[in-house]
Amino acid sequence: MAQEQQPRTVIDAFVIGARRGLNVALNNIAPNVVMAFVIIQFLQLTGLLGLIGKVFGPVMRIFGLPGEAVTVLVSGWLSLGGGVGAAASLYSNGTLDARHVTILLPGLMLIGAQLQYMGRILITAGMESRQILPTMLVSLIVGLVAMFLFQFIV
Amino acid sequence: MPQPTSQDEKKFEIWGVVALILGVVVFSGLLTKAPGFWRAFDFTNLVGDFGKIVKDAAPGFRGSGGTAARDGFVFALTLIPGVMLALGLVNVIDYLGGLKVAEKLITPILRPILGIPGSAGLTLIAALQSSDAAAAMTRQLRDDGFINQKELNVFASWQFPGGPPISNYYTIAVALFPYLTVPIILPLIVMVIGKFAVANVMRFAFNRNTK
Repeated sequence: MAQEQQPRTVIDAFVIGARRGLNVALNNIAPNVVMAFVIIQFLQLTGLLGLIGKVFGPVMRIFGLPGEAVTVLVSGWLSLGGGVGAAASLYSNGTLDARHVTILLPGLMLIGAQLQYMGRILITAGMESRQILPTMLVSLIVGLVAMFLFQFIV
Repeated sequence: MPQPTSQDEKKFEIWGVVALILGVVVFSGLLTKAPGFWRAFDFTNLVGDFGKIVKDAAPGFRGSGGTAARDGFVFALTLIPGVMLALGLVNVIDYLGGLKVAEKLITPILRPILGIPGSAGLTLIAALQSSDAAAAMTRQLRDDGFINQKELNVFASWQFPGGPPISNYYTIAVALFPYLTVPIILPLIVMVIGKFAVANVMRFAFNRNTK
């Protein structure tokens, strides 16, 4: 919405938007995706990924997901790009299939980047501080419920 | 297209309606497998495919079997065209007045669905695209007396889950579109319903006594 440059033609509008997309992809998405891929690799090399899969297996089964999928939600909670990167990485190595990724997506979108958005949205907008924690918890619960229900649709 | 004056405001609005409808169709993924002509109005088809470097290989330059930072980086590079296309299209819709039309549609229903006044409509539209712009605008709405603290709490709790839906979905989640087993609009719809669910839980359970 808030635009630095004012487009004068439709072509102009597209190019300005696409340029913004290029910046977002390079400066925001790429670093987060690299971080997520490195974390997954670290977890895999240390054997922790398998352990996480075992420990969280029973919980994640509620959502129709393997235990390792919890790493997608945890990295997504820190940064959306990280969560998406983790899902892509786990899909590449065969841990998740297409259906798992589809179930994860709405949950990821609802619980994504909570710490960041606490500052950038809740505090910036001026929410009362006693409302902040409940908002985060309710979002988390709604995200989990959304995933739970989504498994019956996909 | 010139800036709207009172005379051609109607004409401008027609373009806005057309842009908004086309935008919703293109981003919905419903026409991905449509026959012939109609396939052109689809995000997935417009973003296209990478070429194959070797015959019979998977399309693209990511290769297979890569790992960690290097694989992640190349993967991130493959996302760039989709992100550029998405933000380019959104900017065109905005330029043609599509977002103004959306604002007009949303404003009257804000009170029943969120308990906030119609004057917050523009901010809600902004919040689809930019969390930072919307957060600043929300604070301004309260400072200018358009909304009270309770309404601000509820409105901010709508903006919070997952941040701006359109831009986050089509710039970040776009990476997972190739794997989805449902039309791409469906997870987005679930996300938006979830945002209203969060805001209404906050509205009725945690904000009853806020003035």
